[in-house]
Amino acid sequence: MDEHRVKRRRAFRQRLVSQRSQQLFTVFVFLLIPLTLLGVFTYFPFAKMAQFSLYDMRYIGKRTFVGLRNYLDIFTREELFRTLRLSFYYLAASFVQLALALFFASVLSFKVRAAGIFKGIIFFPFLVSGIAIGFIFKFFFTRGFVLDTLLIFMGFEQSQLPYWLRDSQVNNIMLAATSVWRYMGQNMVLFIGAIMSVDPQLYESAEMDGANTWRKFLNIILPSIQTIIVLNMILSITGSISAFEPPYVITNGTFGTGTYFVVMNSMAHEKQKVGLAAAMAIVLMAIIVLVTAIQKIIVKVFFEEDKNGMIFSERRAMKKRLAKKRKEASA
Amino acid sequence: MKKFIAIALSLLFTASLAACSGSESPPTDAPASNAAASSAPAPSAEKTDEPVEAPELPAEAPSFDQINIGDYAGITANLQFKTHRTDIVDTIFQGYIADFQKIYPNISINYEAITDYAETMTTRVSTPDWGDICMIVTTIPNTELINYFQPLGSTSVLAETYNFADNKANAGVTYGISSTNNVQGVLYNKAVFEQAGITAVPKTPAEFIDALKKVKENTDAIPLYTNFSAGWTMGAWDAYIGGSATGDPDFMNIKLPHAKDPFKDRGDGTGPYAVYSVLYDAVSQGLVEDDPSTTDWEGSKGMFNRGEIATMVLGSWAIVQMQEAGPNSADVGYMSFPISVNGKQYASAGPDYNYGINLNSSVENKIASLLYIKYLVENSNFDYDQGGVPTVKTHELPSTLAAFDGIELVADNPAKESEEDLFTNINVDSEVSLNMDNQHVIDIVEAALGGGKTLAQLTDEWNARWTASQEKYGVTPE
Repeated sequence: MDEHRVKRRRAFRQRLVSQRSQQLFTVFVFLLIPLTLLGVFTYFPFAKMAQFSLYDMRYIGKRTFVGLRNYLDIFTREELFRTLRLSFYYLAASFVQLALALFFASVLSFKVRAAGIFKGIIFFPFLVSGIAIGFIFKFFFTRGFVLDTLLIFMGFEQSQLPYWLRDSQVNNIMLAATSVWRYMGQNMVLFIGAIMSVDPQLYESAEMDGANTWRKFLNIILPSIQTIIVLNMILSITGSISAFEPPYVITNGTFGTGTYFVVMNSMAHEKQKVGLAAAMAIVLMAIIVLVTAIQKIIVKVFFEEDKNGMIFSERRAMKKRLAKKRKEASA
Repeated sequence: MKKFIAIALSLLFTASLAACSGSESPPTDAPASNAAASSAPAPSAEKTDEPVEAPELPAEAPSFDQINIGDYAGITANLQFKTHRTDIVDTIFQGYIADFQKIYPNISINYEAITDYAETMTTRVSTPDWGDICMIVTTIPNTELINYFQPLGSTSVLAETYNFADNKANAGVTYGISSTNNVQGVLYNKAVFEQAGITAVPKTPAEFIDALKKVKENTDAIPLYTNFSAGWTMGAWDAYIGGSATGDPDFMNIKLPHAKDPFKDRGDGTGPYAVYSVLYDAVSQGLVEDDPSTTDWEGSKGMFNRGEIATMVLGSWAIVQMQEAGPNSADVGYMSFPISVNGKQYASAGPDYNYGINLNSSVENKIASLLYIKYLVENSNFDYDQGGVPTVKTHELPSTLAAFDGIELVADNPAKESEEDLFTNINVDSEVSLNMDNQHVIDIVEAALGGGKTLAQLTDEWNARWTASQEKYGVTPE
């Protein structure tokens, strides 16, 4: 009996101190806190929001269950869903932003005098807080102020210039431009980081082969930093769907600049329609998931290398070549 | 590349310049509250040359109407006072303490100014020892006052002497006395009006628009500055649709939830439509600033003071700020909203924060608090100096409000019992959001500027949504 017990105890102790269980224990303890935080502050509130989206409710007071009515409202009330169209302005701007960032990153990665200063200047706007940027651009666009003065100096007449934030032909473009100004530096820094990781020997050998800077960019830099470009694109596109800060701080969504996010915020906090705003948030998330998935698929189909190390365009080119060869052979 | 650098640099510098001018004018209530908290007044005991015998105190504090300045001479107490006025706690309030201590040298008063007053105080009041006097936060329903604040006396008795004695009252007992009172009107620059040749203050929407036209023709000033881009300044227009536009204290909380098409044009220049039509007409006829989308609130105060702006539609709290924004404080005038109901003008008015006394304070602290509040309300001239309507009925209106002499002040009556949240329910559900968001007023300006919808079309939409929400909450419009 005694012997038996001792054996079991030892077995238990052994199991306790065995490497495997120690590992498991450590993993469990280390994960406990982050997972609890994640659950309590991300998934639980999200579940609550999903629940709220089924109710007609304010922050205080009675709640009425209305099923999917809030979701129906979003798609049937034109003034709500229409705001998503504004995303295209920010989408277009994000491509401009990425192109500019890539351009400056490539230029500044090579030997440029005072590169550090330029990097600093271009990155600086990202460090300014969004509220301050709101102030800056409100004055910048005020009639007869900074932008107008600059353009008049360049030969325009005041009467030729539009009201930058009032005219619905230009105001969304102006707001999108401020977000280019702000985030381009951040993209650039990410790109520079990626470009720096390219083996400099590649440039050397390319130079020996007589490649100019453009060929070096196209054939060495671009393929090497493809991943970070795709990542930046995904971030930019989801960011442009949920554009919030520029229209909120500069125009507060007036004169047709209210993006989906701005309207959602006003529903939740000013109009106190919490249920509707929660439903809008969930629809927005669904759209972002959908767009990201489509983007992923496109990247996978067109840009991913297959087992032969070829991407879509190369495969097509090869197919064409093969077909041509076959034709020639048959002819 | 060089060109780009030049542009980038100029952008950077202009932007940073703009940032500076943007932050030059901090909000008025910026001074940190902790500085206020640490500056305790000098102990008062030293000032007493000849000791006054401590008076005999009753077991219960008397009511506010029965206590007088001079009673209980020699009473000793140390009062804690919570206030929201971070801007004047170290200046004007310290002067009140010094003045008060000439009468009551043994009462010391410690002010604490709280920046985030309403929120902080709501939490603190729930504990028994938050201090002795505070400004009663509006988050406490009147039915709950009895659990937190010392009753000050019968409402009907106090109402004989004091304005708005029924504001913080329940079941015939008053728990708070108003510190100062706001009245809703229109700021106008007297010098600009004179220059434009406007002799009498306009009394109807049509007269007001005519006056604005005169300002545009005869002066360089902006006739009406909307302060559009600040947002909240647009929502301020809602303050006029009740008492000022109808003269009816029941309109806002009692009749509006039951009214059929309340935003319809009444055709006689009264009601909510008349208020919004002033804005719509002024904007559509070009009588406002050139570009509303880039207005600047802090800058507008100086512009008004210098006579670059003729009128602004804001509550009486704004008067002092306009006066202090430049050298021409005498030019700042305030008139009632230009609407006459049957030839008579009314103005919406209401109390600001009310003084309340902690129910859990000791008897001597309660009596000392009553004395100090009595001093503030009757002797300090705080309400008058701040450009508000005085709490004591016999006190005269400040000169800035001289134009309100003879204009009846209307305070909104509370909703009937069992209908307390009906207005809010309909207001929220219909998304008209009166006094809640600025969107509906912003829509008016946008429509008037863009030449899209007419005001009648806009108000028809509001009426339709209002009616739908009334149906939802089982109200038959009358």
